[in-house]
Amino acid sequence: MTPKLQPNPQTPTATPAKAQAAAPTIAVRKSCNPDGIGLSHYVLMDRKAAK
Amino acid sequence: MSLAIAERAASGTLFQTLDIGHPVYAALTDPQTAFWALVDKSCAAEAARDPALLASYGAKAGAFADELHALRFGLKPSGVYLNPTERCNLNCTYCYLPDQQRSGGSHMSAETLLASLASLRDYFRSVMPEGRKPRAIFHGAEPLMNAPAVFAAIDAFADDFVFGLQTNGTLLDDAALDFLTSRNVSIGLSLDGPVAEITDATRQTWGGKSVHGKVLRAIEKLRGYGSWSVITTCTTENLPYLTRMVELFHAAEVPTCMLNTLRCTLPGARGVKPADEAMAEAFFAALDRTHALYQATGRKLMVANFANILIGILAPTARRLMCDISPCGGGRAFFALAADGSLYPCSEFIGLPRFNGGKLLEEGVAVALASEAFRPVIERDVDRFSPCGDCAIRHFCGSPCPAEAFEMNGGMDKIGAFCAFYKEQVNYALRLIADGKADDYLWDGWDEGTETVFALA
Repeated sequence: MTPKLQPNPQTPTATPAKAQAAAPTIAVRKSCNPDGIGLSHYVLMDRKAAK
Repeated sequence: MSLAIAERAASGTLFQTLDIGHPVYAALTDPQTAFWALVDKSCAAEAARDPALLASYGAKAGAFADELHALRFGLKPSGVYLNPTERCNLNCTYCYLPDQQRSGGSHMSAETLLASLASLRDYFRSVMPEGRKPRAIFHGAEPLMNAPAVFAAIDAFADDFVFGLQTNGTLLDDAALDFLTSRNVSIGLSLDGPVAEITDATRQTWGGKSVHGKVLRAIEKLRGYGSWSVITTCTTENLPYLTRMVELFHAAEVPTCMLNTLRCTLPGARGVKPADEAMAEAFFAALDRTHALYQATGRKLMVANFANILIGILAPTARRLMCDISPCGGGRAFFALAADGSLYPCSEFIGLPRFNGGKLLEEGVAVALASEAFRPVIERDVDRFSPCGDCAIRHFCGSPCPAEAFEMNGGMDKIGAFCAFYKEQVNYALRLIADGKADDYLWDGWDEGTETVFALA
């Protein structure tokens, strides 16, 4: 799962304005063995066959 | 942290800042490794100097660089596009194959096709990991114009390849469907409009007859099949109707579609090329509609070409398609066999004789891959030419496609046809990640087999 942004810092509130904390930094990277992948944009994202 | 990373961080050149059009977030990227981080846009400059971010990224930067380098330069071919005929029963406005071939060309004989597959099988066995089958996609011009040879090949090499077939759908009768589905062949169709009037604007027979209804019938017959997709090629003629296209696909339970930009390799295509801004607006409206349909029904319609951009950002090595990476997959991850037995880096080049790498059954694959014909494609590197060399997202995009860069824009060191559109796709993808919606645009289980190697959230 990619992270969800909670809460949205731009959501209007009824409370008096005060300094808001910076939104949390988001960075994700996943990795796998790329052997045996890759076709052109024309054809067949065959998920079963790709595994 | 390596000395090089530390020096770039100290000089303020490690990260590039990217306005992604999000109300809260901007992106920092290190294009050299395809690293990205989403940071509060109100303090992006401070975030780029954040010691915690620098330390965590610095610890991984070397591994990310190695991974990207291996993906860009270390792959061996694992797929082949097979053109069993030069002929097609349609005359589409934007086709990448020359008219003369499609109208009066030749079929590859069944004997030659079988011999070619035997040669290809032996080649792939020599370069692919044991236990992995190469993919062989019957592709052009219209493979079912030579159905007997295609079907004979599928049966003869069922144990050696994972087969797919991209067809215009007009010759996909019940017998052909039964044959292909009973052998679990992946099937790709093409449809350019939600109604005949729109499809007919770019896809008709040589005699000017509509094929819209035939493709719809094929789509209906494939409902429920496990492995099929439909391509819509986006042009000036159908751009206002992309939202209706995805509504049609979703209603028909099409599992996967592609909303491809047309390739501008041959001049005929350029007459219906949409402007980047118009393409982006229509494309994102269609993506938004797929998301609304998913929320309403719980069923996803994958837009595979966008999903690949998104995966290329989240997990560079998990991408499925190899157009939006540099060098592209042509002549590297896959290659194409033309109906005359010649090898090309990709089917996109079959109309361009200078990219002919020689005959499969005479010189062989290895000679073609090392040939001067393939070299300009294999060596096209966005790090080495402007404006890509300074671009923050160059390894999320790859500046496709080399064929159209060469033919339309004047050289391999030129950008492709839709630079601004690709930038907007990356921005859109990063906004989805910022909003926690990326998984909604990817197939369930897309990251099976991957490992999370970096996470800040």
